[in-house]
Amino acid sequence: MDVRARAACFHCGEPVEGEPATRNSAGGEQAFCCEGCAAAADWIASANLGDYYRLRSASGTRVDADVTDFSAWDRETFLAAQTRIIDVDREITVLTQGMRCAACAWLIDRALRSETGVTDATANAITGRVQVRWNPSVVKLSALMSRLSRLGYRPWLASGEGREQALRLERRTGLMRLGVAGLGAMQAMMFAEALYFDSNGEMAIATRDFFRWITFLVATPVVFYSGWPFLQGMARELRGRRLGMDTLVAGSTLLAYGASLVETVRGGPQVWYDAAVMFVLLLLFARMLELRARRLAGARVDALARARPVLANRETADGTREEVSVEELRIDDVVRVAPGENVPADARVLDQAGSFDEALLTGESTPILRNPGDLALAGSVCVGEAVRLCVERTGSDTRVSEMTRLVERAQAGRPALARTADRVASVFAVALIFCAAIVYAWWHAHDPSRALEVTLAVLVISCPCALSLAIPAALTAAHGRLAALGILVLSPDAMATLARVDCVLFDKTGTLTLSRRSIAVMDVCAMEDPAHLLEIAAALERDSRHPIATAFHDPKVLLPVSLRREVAGTGIEGTINGRQWRIGRPGFAAGAADDGRIWLGDGRTASASFHLLEDIRADADETIRRLRQLGISVGICSGDSEAAVRIVADRLHIDDLSARQSPEQKLARVRSLQSQGRVVAMIGDGINDAPVLAGADVSLAMSDGAAIAQRAADMVITSPSLSRLPEGIELARRTRRIVRQNLVWAVTYNVLALPLAASGTLSPWLAAVGMAASSLLVTLNALRLARGQA
Amino acid sequence: MTILLILVPISLALLGLAIGAFLWAVKSGQYDDLDSPSIDMLRDESKPAPPSEAEKPDDA
Repeated sequence: MDVRARAACFHCGEPVEGEPATRNSAGGEQAFCCEGCAAAADWIASANLGDYYRLRSASGTRVDADVTDFSAWDRETFLAAQTRIIDVDREITVLTQGMRCAACAWLIDRALRSETGVTDATANAITGRVQVRWNPSVVKLSALMSRLSRLGYRPWLASGEGREQALRLERRTGLMRLGVAGLGAMQAMMFAEALYFDSNGEMAIATRDFFRWITFLVATPVVFYSGWPFLQGMARELRGRRLGMDTLVAGSTLLAYGASLVETVRGGPQVWYDAAVMFVLLLLFARMLELRARRLAGARVDALARARPVLANRETADGTREEVSVEELRIDDVVRVAPGENVPADARVLDQAGSFDEALLTGESTPILRNPGDLALAGSVCVGEAVRLCVERTGSDTRVSEMTRLVERAQAGRPALARTADRVASVFAVALIFCAAIVYAWWHAHDPSRALEVTLAVLVISCPCALSLAIPAALTAAHGRLAALGILVLSPDAMATLARVDCVLFDKTGTLTLSRRSIAVMDVCAMEDPAHLLEIAAALERDSRHPIATAFHDPKVLLPVSLRREVAGTGIEGTINGRQWRIGRPGFAAGAADDGRIWLGDGRTASASFHLLEDIRADADETIRRLRQLGISVGICSGDSEAAVRIVADRLHIDDLSARQSPEQKLARVRSLQSQGRVVAMIGDGINDAPVLAGADVSLAMSDGAAIAQRAADMVITSPSLSRLPEGIELARRTRRIVRQNLVWAVTYNVLALPLAASGTLSPWLAAVGMAASSLLVTLNALRLARGQA
Repeated sequence: MTILLILVPISLALLGLAIGAFLWAVKSGQYDDLDSPSIDMLRDESKPAPPSEAEKPDDA
């Protein structure tokens, strides 16, 4: 296989193959894998941003030398739909790929700000979003976007400025609630402390009441502003006539607050404002953490945005063309799609056939040939020649939108863990309210003066604070740890299922194997020089994007090819040094019978044949060994041919394989495993995996695969290494253990403390201390997940 | 204990100030990006100069 010497590219860290492009950069001669990377490094050095290389913790992304044309982004229709006007400036939020660490965000910030006309630029490495504010009369958006693209951060349209604004506002509101809760609770505790020190009741009544009213003042915004999400949740639950966590939280808070107010007004012996505010603070914190972890993961893989076309080239009645935004397209409009452009809507091919790259939708990197009358899908990219299409379905009716919706519905419809927590909480809430009522009744009959105090102590001590923290705290810590490992969790209960997995099914292409090929065997038929034939093959395949071409790529070969023609699905022909060559299927290249090999010849006689092998991921072997160690069985379920699957399975020692599977058959296979009581994890990357990914107990998609597959999956593996999978499973199992410990502790504590409180031995403030300590213990236990070995 | 009548309002004023400052900071977007500023200070120079030849990498 590939034995050429490999040095790592200075910019992107990928192995340099063949003759490297070298530049003087960062104080020495550096090697680059391609001109794109070298140019990016050049620019970074000339802009005096060379510190990027020192600051970064992960290497950059390979920079494509061909710059995408962003001129469409300057059009009025585009700007009107996608940007926001601020004074003389405009603002847009774009999604980029390739931001891997904070240094990337830093580089983007600086690079954009150094352009004249840019008022502000903020990049966020976690969400992958870049927000740019620029003055359109000074600089064009397309110039800024191609700057980003030339640094290796290809911009895509995010979900639209309106939705971005809403998301940002939501994030900020949450942060403000938390800040108010933190500062307010601190101050309320301060004042409460003063009251606690007065254990013998020596404080003057006036001073005491003064402190109580001040505490009331501080606690009020915490309960009603910061605690608003809980109050809203309670209202929702009550409207739905069920009791849940929110009712319990908001109920306890309101009770502590209300009772304190009553006591303050009538000058009773105790107030519990501090319990109310601590309660809000701790629970709000837990909720924010949980929400944040999942939001970020979601924002990061908003990959379908990449497939969203922006503009269409429409033919008017008199045959001229006009640029319109996609929203303006109507059914039966005729659009023209140039090579490299997105198909704007699901449309039928007119006149002549064209090839379309559906990689973003299907993960299939081979362009697909569509004949006149066939449907081209919105979001696929036209390769080869320009085509004319007749629009069939637009906007939310397109296949892409349809699939997005399906996946969203599937994801919303499986809230198993959330339901469990809610069910526990609702049983708990009923039992607790019942308990409190009995305690109140008993004390009211025997010692009416202490009835309210004891009841409150019961409610505070048994408040499900620890219980409600137990699951989110552990999940948050585990989510963070998983994200650091390179696994993003999209669906809320995927983690719990991952821990129970005992069977892993791999799709072959793109998961166990890379889409790259290499030459395993080369047979030379005629009396020719093998090295020369390899050069000819490399020259012919040079500009091809077909995965087979990757086996032949060799940047050293500069042989000119004339009359080059690519026949979709068959091969390539061209003339080199006056001689005609063909490479591809046997029938096309050498007039031979199909044997699964790639042949090189002149169309009639063969010169050489190549046996190609898919490159297996470097750590696939290790991953499978470790999965077996964890007691998990491994299988392959692929749509590829029996022979191709068998080769990979043999190399990885996997016995359980099924080949030539349609999406339905894959799903049936998973269902039959599930009916045997197995818990199945599916790893896939293409559109044909989408149903099975949705049907498996837990599903993982590779981040370089199809966007649709990522949307259907519960988790996305962002690191290129498969070994994250067993690590993730181990982590999920540890999480499960810790969640159990936490639940056992929380329940034990409540059960033990309840009789103490009910008997009147514990005062409410002691109960509050106990509650806080219990919550702290649970949180610390959960934090163990964030550290240590995964 | 009359000192409390001064101290407590002062503490409340400070609290109000702190909350006000926090809300302002959040609203002006200072908490939107918590990653790149942390490495910004590790740089030697304070301001990047604009690239010497603005569109140089185009020749690539």
